[in-house]
Amino acid sequence: MSNIICHDFKTPRNDTSKRLPDTFKAIPILFYLALVSAAYLMTMDWMAYKKSERDKVSAEATKADFEAATKELEAEKTSIDNETAKAEILAKWMEGARNVQPISVAIARAMPKEVRLSDLSIERSQQVPSNLALSVRINGGSAKEVGVMETGLARLQYRSFGSQSTKDGDVVEYRSTLVRQEQ
Amino acid sequence: MLLAEIKSVLSFAAFKAEADDATVPWSKRFEGRKTLLINVSRNQTSWRGVNKKGKLDDGGVMEGEFSDIAPQQAEEWRLLADGGWCVVSINNRFIMSLETNMMRGDNCTNLLRTNPRAVLGPKYDRGKRYAICHHPDTASSILLTSEESMVKVTEDVLKTIGLRPGRVCSGLFAITEYAVQELFVNQRANVAPNLALICACEGSVAVLLQQDGQWKELRSRSGMGPDAVETSIQIITPLLQKLPQGSPIYFISDGQDVKYRTEVMSQLERLGAQDITQEDLMWNVIGIH
Repeated sequence: MSNIICHDFKTPRNDTSKRLPDTFKAIPILFYLALVSAAYLMTMDWMAYKKSERDKVSAEATKADFEAATKELEAEKTSIDNETAKAEILAKWMEGARNVQPISVAIARAMPKEVRLSDLSIERSQQVPSNLALSVRINGGSAKEVGVMETGLARLQYRSFGSQSTKDGDVVEYRSTLVRQEQ
Repeated sequence: MLLAEIKSVLSFAAFKAEADDATVPWSKRFEGRKTLLINVSRNQTSWRGVNKKGKLDDGGVMEGEFSDIAPQQAEEWRLLADGGWCVVSINNRFIMSLETNMMRGDNCTNLLRTNPRAVLGPKYDRGKRYAICHHPDTASSILLTSEESMVKVTEDVLKTIGLRPGRVCSGLFAITEYAVQELFVNQRANVAPNLALICACEGSVAVLLQQDGQWKELRSRSGMGPDAVETSIQIITPLLQKLPQGSPIYFISDGQDVKYRTEVMSQLERLGAQDITQEDLMWNVIGIH
């Protein structure tokens, strides 16, 4: 069949509009493309949002783990600091007690293996700081150990004054004032 | 209104041709929709449906006045047409005449519909509707003049039964246009300078005579009825006698009235006439093109 267009003499209508040119099809096409792109972007955003929420929960769990570990470490540090403080006090005491340490050693050496020292006190006199008040309680000892002890102290240039020795069963309690003998 | 326009753009409906846009072929206007084709003769109305695939479907014929037939067939016709859109061929009360030096141009057809005076000048007559078919090589044209009252009455009848005429035409003129296109455009190289073209459509007939490459004479008569074989021959014969011996004679008809076609051709064959009719030609011309 040929490509003629059949004639038409119908009553013209004035409420019709001409069809839009084909190039204008780009408008609805772009609209639908924008719609699809927006849906794609929204879906991707939604998925990213959900993933970030999961990541946030995971990060918060990790943070809680780290905080617990930090607290544990801080507690350990506090414990170490306390130990350090105690050690420093001990060190200070050791440093402060340096001049009476030879006395303690001499007393300890004076005791044989079977004898035990249950109490040892060396205090500096407040009136005469060079004098030391010695108090020793010896379990299973006798006058012999007291004598050996005095001899040992004498070697350290200390002389006992006003020594008192009492024996109560196996326990010998000895008290004296040690005076430093200047050469 | 704005919302409807936006909707039509987004659904691509705004890019499709309007249902009654005469510048677009009928089949393109109604792709995927059923339409109805009606041919209104003086005492007979025939119709065919066009299905969604654009193929001709069932139809019918009924004797009587169109204004009486239409209400009776309204329900069946509405079922055959999506949205009530139909083509009406008014095969009665029209004249086809030969004119020369008519205005031509791309917008001429549209102008003839909206402002016929601008195209026809002093030939314009109030109360008439026109269509035109030009000779492709000469200044001759075939002018169809139809009664406006007939067109309006037919349109009104269709409106009252809920049908919307998307095209109002003349079946005979449509067949003539088709034959002119086939002979003088598609077969231009082979067309003889002297020939006769006889067009017939449900009781209307037109004879076009070409001599020395020029359209010389045109005779037409509408509303004779399908039994008027003798009358048709009386109209045709005087013109054929003016042709030189051996000139080709082409006969083309609506393609459905076999009896009329056989009877006319039996007389024309003696003069060497050639039948170029195709089956359902009129329906195809008005329902596809």
